Amino acid sequence: MKRTLTVCPYCGTGCTFYLVSDNGRLVGVEPSTTHPVSRGGLCVKGWNAFAFVHHPDRLTTPLVRRDGVLQPSSWDEALDLVVARLQAVQKRHGADAVMFASSAKATNEENYLLMKLARAVFGTNNIDHCARLCHSSTVTGLAETFGSGAMTNSISCIDQTDVILVIGSNSTEQHPLIGSRILNAAHSGTRLIVADNRRIRLSRHADLHLRHRNGSDVALLNGIMHVIIAEGLADREFIAARTENYAALAEAVADWTPERSAGATGLAADEIVAAARLFAGAERGMIVYSMGITQHSHGVDNVRCIAALALLTGNVGRPGTGVNPLRGQNNVQGGCDMGALPDVYSGYQKVSDPLLRDKFALAWGVTKLPAEPGLPLTRAMDAASAGLLRGMFIMGENPMLSDPDQGHARMALQNLELLVVQDIFLTETALLADIVLPAACYAEKEGTFTNTERRVQRLRKAVEPPGAARADWEIICDLAGRAGYSGMRYANPAAVMEEIATLTPIYGGIGYDRLDPHGLQWPCPDRSHPGTPILHLEHFSRGLGRFSPVAHRLPAELPDDRYPFVLTTGRTYFHWHTGSMTRRTHLLDREEPRSFIELHPDDAARLGVRERDSLLVSSRRGEVRTEARVTTMVIPGVVFMPFHFAEGAANVLTNNVLDPESSIPEFKVCAVRVEKMP
Amino acid sequence: MRVLTSDRLDRFFATLAQTWELRLPILLPDGTRVIGSPDDGPIALLGIAILSKPTAAFFPQQETLFTASGGVLEEPLAPPRPLFVLGFTPRDLACLRFIDRFFADGWCDDIYFRLRQNSVVAGLSGYCGPGGTLLPPAGGDCDLELFWDGNSWLVIPYSEAGEAIVAELPDTAPPEAVELFRLAAMTPPDENEIVIKRASELLRGDRVPDSFWAEIGDRCIACTGCNLACPTCTCFGVQDWRTATQVERSRMWDSCQLDGFMREASGHNPLGSEALRTRRRIHHKLAADPERWGEISCFVCGRCDAVCPTGIGIFAVARELVARFG
Repeated sequence: MKRTLTVCPYCGTGCTFYLVSDNGRLVGVEPSTTHPVSRGGLCVKGWNAFAFVHHPDRLTTPLVRRDGVLQPSSWDEALDLVVARLQAVQKRHGADAVMFASSAKATNEENYLLMKLARAVFGTNNIDHCARLCHSSTVTGLAETFGSGAMTNSISCIDQTDVILVIGSNSTEQHPLIGSRILNAAHSGTRLIVADNRRIRLSRHADLHLRHRNGSDVALLNGIMHVIIAEGLADREFIAARTENYAALAEAVADWTPERSAGATGLAADEIVAAARLFAGAERGMIVYSMGITQHSHGVDNVRCIAALALLTGNVGRPGTGVNPLRGQNNVQGGCDMGALPDVYSGYQKVSDPLLRDKFALAWGVTKLPAEPGLPLTRAMDAASAGLLRGMFIMGENPMLSDPDQGHARMALQNLELLVVQDIFLTETALLADIVLPAACYAEKEGTFTNTERRVQRLRKAVEPPGAARADWEIICDLAGRAGYSGMRYANPAAVMEEIATLTPIYGGIGYDRLDPHGLQWPCPDRSHPGTPILHLEHFSRGLGRFSPVAHRLPAELPDDRYPFVLTTGRTYFHWHTGSMTRRTHLLDREEPRSFIELHPDDAARLGVRERDSLLVSSRRGEVRTEARVTTMVIPGVVFMPFHFAEGAANVLTNNVLDPESSIPEFKVCAVRVEKMP
Repeated sequence: MRVLTSDRLDRFFATLAQTWELRLPILLPDGTRVIGSPDDGPIALLGIAILSKPTAAFFPQQETLFTASGGVLEEPLAPPRPLFVLGFTPRDLACLRFIDRFFADGWCDDIYFRLRQNSVVAGLSGYCGPGGTLLPPAGGDCDLELFWDGNSWLVIPYSEAGEAIVAELPDTAPPEAVELFRLAAMTPPDENEIVIKRASELLRGDRVPDSFWAEIGDRCIACTGCNLACPTCTCFGVQDWRTATQVERSRMWDSCQLDGFMREASGHNPLGSEALRTRRRIHHKLAADPERWGEISCFVCGRCDAVCPTGIGIFAVARELVARFG
């Protein structure tokens, strides 16, 4: 028996646990009793996080497509072929004809290395990862208003606040150990406002549950800010000392009376007034949000409004306050921190800055690095379908299920001259690949993950990878060597982190020797720095906090006679994203074995639909069969589908329209028709 | 009654390791304490509460039942050396006694007894509760017991295996330690024990309305930790992993807090809400088991309260229930 302390591979909460193994096989999980976030608890996914690791579907050997069929190959053959074919595409079509998709499931070190491979070895800034699909709006919106696109406060601040506004976050299902803390706070006297039109668990414990229309967050938040200003509830001292551009905000929300806001949101005017008074009247207020805010064609505007509400009420830079985007994936914070983004190196250092380019070029031993920001992932799919992008290297992502408009994604991927997928299972995307590289999963390698509160924590190897599978970092370094680059030889991931620390000011003091037992929160600029639980204490990262007022814009596609329902998509508690791990975990898949759609009882009655009836759901992009779940979880006129299921895939239906600034797709609103199958 | 001084512990365990596969209280790198292998970290007989259940030594979270290949069925072998498991508190030992009986009642769960049979179970008592609190002696539910009197360990054998293990230890327990052991056995029941008993009476008297369970159920996030941490929860699920050449069947801890636990093939679920499932879990321990087995099957170990992220472990629920209806 062996116990290995490591980090949960599912959400961004960053719970730690011990993997229990016996003779090289995982047999269970034991929670960490002392961890500051999980505190002896875990969610159902965490308790079962060992269960998919030895699944017989794991990839155990490289696969190369020959005569149209993926066939086993040696590592030498597969890796030489990857390098040769990527270089051939670049030779014919230019360096930017290839794209690297990194992974929020992979470690910091692996994200850093893939970013380095793309930039230093293949000479392109075309690197991105699924943060594009979740919190790119946050990164853009908070960078503009606060100067840093991360959660401002720590999870423990939930215990120190007077009021929490949870907007667009089903926290008890998607960040269960954070949601639980919010639930407990509500039972201990903290006031709770939930703004989400689904009747999520937290709404049952809320003082106010605002069921506003999908896509009307700007109207709601502008209305709330109007009331706060009109009733003299704003924190004038904070505004004067720490912010700029207040006059523009005041002017922009002057017309957003509660009545106008009510008209745009579907709420009653007095609900908006009550929310404003409750939030602004508290000494300390926290805002917690997630995909319900970011995944809109105006996702950045939503984030700007949230930042403005926090500034207006002086709720930044103190315990129990802050703007707290809950990052989705276990290491999506780290993926961004490591510069697996088209416009920045690690630590959000811009590729457009010549001094920074020189710094990285010198450190990496290359003469030149590309200056133009690369393609965001979502726009890369458009470029691929248009024939402008010819090769993709995808590590640990499954865009066939996770991208909007599956037909479009399939067409884009099939249009490529070269698709390489590195993953732990033969995903729907890997099935389309020319070359498939088998990777080690989280339990089979060393590294670090950074959780949603910026806590960098150690991931540890508990068991060996299956067959010939190798850790992502080893594969990436091997590829670099085969491409003729000698600057990616590392003894282990700790050595990679040493390099990251020298080049990345916010990680300057991070080293493996400092991460026991519960990690360090960045910014951690030097080896003696204790880490930073709360950002923007004395001043904002950008100096003054900026009010960025915005106008209300409607979602890109609204219901009409042909497609009369609003479809909003998301996840369930029991599955993770495209299900490659959770659908291979017996208890989790037993809980949610099939695609389903939530439908209000009034709508169900009108359509003659009963619980579990087979339904055909169609949009302008396509149609899927799924199963009815008749529930008051949703409001009339709105249906909800999770996107985990390859059969009955919600993303066949979603709309590939992007926020113009963050390039995030509008997963939360599109128009569909629902029909009972004969 | 034998005596074992702290400086002789390492030698004592080293001797045992020649015969037994040891499972001992271990301090893990982040301060968590578990019952694990000495390879996991330093032995820690004193310290914070052990949240993982000690019965997992015999009923692990997941284990292979058999593999079938080419018409041949292979079952896992018994371990080469039997287990010696130290770290059961007196309450844990009551849990072990309960599941020993359950797994042998009317049939014999051979997978459980593969590990349990021939094992040696050792209790821990005395001033070795969390924060140095006094745990009363376990008495006869184990092969031997280690009782911490604040200076050294009194070692009391209760079975032949236990007698053989302690035979070499000096028989020099000071009289005041023996007296302490005797007095500790008379420790009155604590508040949690009283509240659990009272809650059991109220449930069996049908004094708790459904609305109470709806409130509690609203706070359940279905993490399943209460079941997985409970030493008397024995439910398991079964899965088959198939490859081209073999089928491997294994079982893993299951949870009655999950919808799928009772869902029928039709989709109907007689326990289709968190309220009904939470009611059932508490009811099973406090009302059904007393009727079936003659005793409440919550032995007040506190693990479900410690792991529950939303504060609805069995003590918390029982306290609320007694406060409102008791």
